[in-house]
Amino acid sequence: MNHNLIKPRTRITSLLVLTSLLTTLIVIQGCKENDPTKEDVPELITKATLTFSPNGGGTPVVVTATDPDGEGVQDIKVDGSINLTATTSYVLSIGLINGLAAPTEPEYNATVEVEKEGDEHMFFFAWTNNTFFEPEGNGNIDARADAVNYTGGTNSTDVNGRPLGLTTTWTSATIAGTASLSGTFRILLKHQPTLKSDTSDSNTGETDLDLTFALNIH
Amino acid sequence: MFDVETKEALPLADVFVTELKIGSSTDGQGKFTINSLCAERYTIVCSFVGYKTISTQISITKNTSMDFSLEPEITQMKEVIIEEKLAKVEGVQNYVNLNEQQLAESAGKTLGESLKEIPGVNSIQSGPGIFKPVIHGVHSQRVLILNHGIRQEGQQWGAEHAPEIDPFIATNVVVIKDASAIKYGTDALGGVVVVNPPELPEKAGMGGTINAIAQGNGRSGTISGMLEGGLKKYDGWGWRVQGTAKQSGDFKTPTYHLTNTGIKELDFSGAMGYHAKKYGAEIFYSHFQTQLGILKGTSISNLDDLVAAMEREPPQYTSGFSYTISEPRQEVSHNLLKLNGHLQTKKGEWQFQYGFQNNNRKEFDIRKGGRSQIPSIDLQLNTHTLETEYEVTNNKSSTLCIGVTGMYQDNNNIPGTQRIPFIPNFTSLSGGVFVITHLQLQKWIADVGVRYDYRSYDVIGYDFINKLYKDNLIFKNPSATIGATLPIDKKQSFSTNLSSAWRPPHVAELYSLGTHQSAAAIEYGLLLNDSTNEVMSLNDVSFKNEQALKWINTYQYQANPFQFEATAYVNYIFNYIYLRPTGITQNIRGAYPYFRYTQTDASFLGLDFSGSWQISQRVKLSPKMSLLRAADDRNNDYLVFIPSNRFEVAIRFEEPKNYALKNFFFETKIKYVARQYRAPRVVTAREIQEANELGIDLFANDPSNFDFMAAPAGYFLWNASTGFSIKKEKVRYDFRAAAENILNSTYREYTNRFKYYANDIGCNYILSVKCIF
Repeated sequence: MNHNLIKPRTRITSLLVLTSLLTTLIVIQGCKENDPTKEDVPELITKATLTFSPNGGGTPVVVTATDPDGEGVQDIKVDGSINLTATTSYVLSIGLINGLAAPTEPEYNATVEVEKEGDEHMFFFAWTNNTFFEPEGNGNIDARADAVNYTGGTNSTDVNGRPLGLTTTWTSATIAGTASLSGTFRILLKHQPTLKSDTSDSNTGETDLDLTFALNIH
Repeated sequence: MFDVETKEALPLADVFVTELKIGSSTDGQGKFTINSLCAERYTIVCSFVGYKTISTQISITKNTSMDFSLEPEITQMKEVIIEEKLAKVEGVQNYVNLNEQQLAESAGKTLGESLKEIPGVNSIQSGPGIFKPVIHGVHSQRVLILNHGIRQEGQQWGAEHAPEIDPFIATNVVVIKDASAIKYGTDALGGVVVVNPPELPEKAGMGGTINAIAQGNGRSGTISGMLEGGLKKYDGWGWRVQGTAKQSGDFKTPTYHLTNTGIKELDFSGAMGYHAKKYGAEIFYSHFQTQLGILKGTSISNLDDLVAAMEREPPQYTSGFSYTISEPRQEVSHNLLKLNGHLQTKKGEWQFQYGFQNNNRKEFDIRKGGRSQIPSIDLQLNTHTLETEYEVTNNKSSTLCIGVTGMYQDNNNIPGTQRIPFIPNFTSLSGGVFVITHLQLQKWIADVGVRYDYRSYDVIGYDFINKLYKDNLIFKNPSATIGATLPIDKKQSFSTNLSSAWRPPHVAELYSLGTHQSAAAIEYGLLLNDSTNEVMSLNDVSFKNEQALKWINTYQYQANPFQFEATAYVNYIFNYIYLRPTGITQNIRGAYPYFRYTQTDASFLGLDFSGSWQISQRVKLSPKMSLLRAADDRNNDYLVFIPSNRFEVAIRFEEPKNYALKNFFFETKIKYVARQYRAPRVVTAREIQEANELGIDLFANDPSNFDFMAAPAGYFLWNASTGFSIKKEKVRYDFRAAAENILNSTYREYTNRFKYYANDIGCNYILSVKCIF
């Protein structure tokens, strides 16, 4: 047998060298790394705008909630309270923005997506201290059947005629004199694929948006 | 040829004429004929499975007719297995083998579920289809899996990522419980799972097996086939092809279906090799591919959703039985190509092994805007491993083994997920050298080994605001093991092993950002800044390598009718990386608790016991027990997801030969899983939510571990199985019927990640046929 011609020790050394060489080869082959492609993140909502437009005209009341860091540790920032005039009828429209996209990109306006998938989404509302005259009560987060006016725009309801709530109608409570009424106003957007029905409620599906604002009626 | 006691004919027994190297086998009546013998003296060897082989010298003068009687050998099977495992796990003191029979009994189950049969081994479960092995309380990055001798490299950092291995590929699976598997490299802090294929045939001829399994729960069907052989006229050449297909629908709890828990799996492999006396080489390729449905009711977003999901029974989306797998789901494929060779020289043996693995993992969630068909996670990992070792046998009492290993990995997020990736892209280079010596010191058999490892990572990723970051990290560490076995006498033996092991952190532990499937919690890697979330460099944090010191002792006793094995261990893991609850964050979707990867010191103390008592020739009683106490020693706290204590007793009746049905058995087993009393405090999602509404962060002043719900109550499960074999011509059929959770008990397992959402599965019936030809 001719494999005894080389001394065993030399052979081991050469095998180890060979192994190292092969490893090096593999490494060199793999090192041509480019920067990874940046992902668009169209589902991300970083900003929600609530616009209360008085029915009789006038300056709309606008509040926004901004998430400065997405999945990060910082809490959302709300720029002040919703200040409404007593005994006034408003149309509330909700706008959703994806701040990681440029305003020119289609992803920027996240409202369009919710509108398109209206039959899978629904906004629920809750408020405290009887701050509204119409609808009455405390909203439909605790009980789906409770009153909320899904009217006022084409995107108040979905293609099946079920509530969607991108546009809703509200009439603030009547207050005597200069007194004011304070409470909170919560909006909740649920994604309910295959689950949305006439009875699906605020516990159905996954939460896409859950925000609470301070509300004052003057 | 017949049985010496029963005088029953033995069909399919082998007869071999040593001098002429020719043979034959008996027919249905136990008869055989060998032609063309000359008038000479011959050695006739008769053998049959389950019987002692006999060798008889005969002198032939003319046509002769002879009777041969064989004596049954009840323990033969066992000896074969012991030899086999010794060959595969040399230099290791504490291991448990899952043999062919045990594997056959768990046929149709995943590898992780099969391994639960071994005391001290458990699993982290994500519903009924995803099992991840846990050895002595640790899992994921701390358990090394060797498939055909190659380190299994997938996305094993995730608790819901099961090993990508078809259990039908193995003839036996060995679990090494000490950390002494120094040969295999880093990460084996808890132990090693070694999946061993059968040896390739070296002689001409063809054989194979076909397995068919039907399960009631999940209405699943599994079919697996294997064909192997040698090449005529080419001694030493052998080949094998193998494949498995499996489909399962929704599993069922005692009262409702677990909607979207179906499984679809397709695996195949092929091997070819040549073995001569002094050298040999093999090539092996395997493909594994699975689609796993994740219980739909676990798709939740924020804390409110979790509160609702936990209070809801049955889970949301629950409907009737279906085979449909929809979102959330996983699609995983794994390819392995392996080349290996060995060469026997005068002084020792040289071995070489190269492996290439390609792992693809896609995870799909229920998404907005018709994006459910776009994976949220899409990762591709390519791994090259290269290993070589040289073992020198100095004399009969000592061997020395030196080796070099190298691994190169390239992990990439496949663009197009439309999500910020959970983990960054990375390339990693690892290398290691080791020296192990195996010594016979009087009665003691000792193993001593040292190893040095190096790993570097080149990381490129996007942070929470989609800003690019890059880093280069280097980790290196030595490890060592010393162990010895003392065969006290014929009945007893004692093994002890002290080993240190370490592991470099996984990129996921350093850079993770986001929420896992079915968890209403956000995870942050070690290198993300506490307050700004920005990615820091390793120098900015006080990181130390995770290092384990494990001491394990096994005592074995074997004298009829008793046999038992007890293993006691203590594993102290320094700088143990875990997810620590850190606070509550509010984003547009609502409130989320967040966890940060942190380091602590953890201890795992436990005892495994398995025994058997042969009450009579046919009846055997086998108890099993696994006890474990784990703690976070630095913070004087408990750890989450630690398997609770469990006990099991089986009674088996075996009648190997007397009936027309061969190998008849009936077994009944009672399993008791205790409640985990050593669980962290309970802070319910509702409590967090209510405190959050009042502006209180429950974790700001008390970052101790917590769980969303109290550990579920202990539970009993009653299982039974029966089976027999039929031999026909050259074919053997093994039939088996089993029932699991016969009483249809409702229970939840503490280590099942879906315990928050649904009950575990109810009664299950299994029918299987194995055909060996």
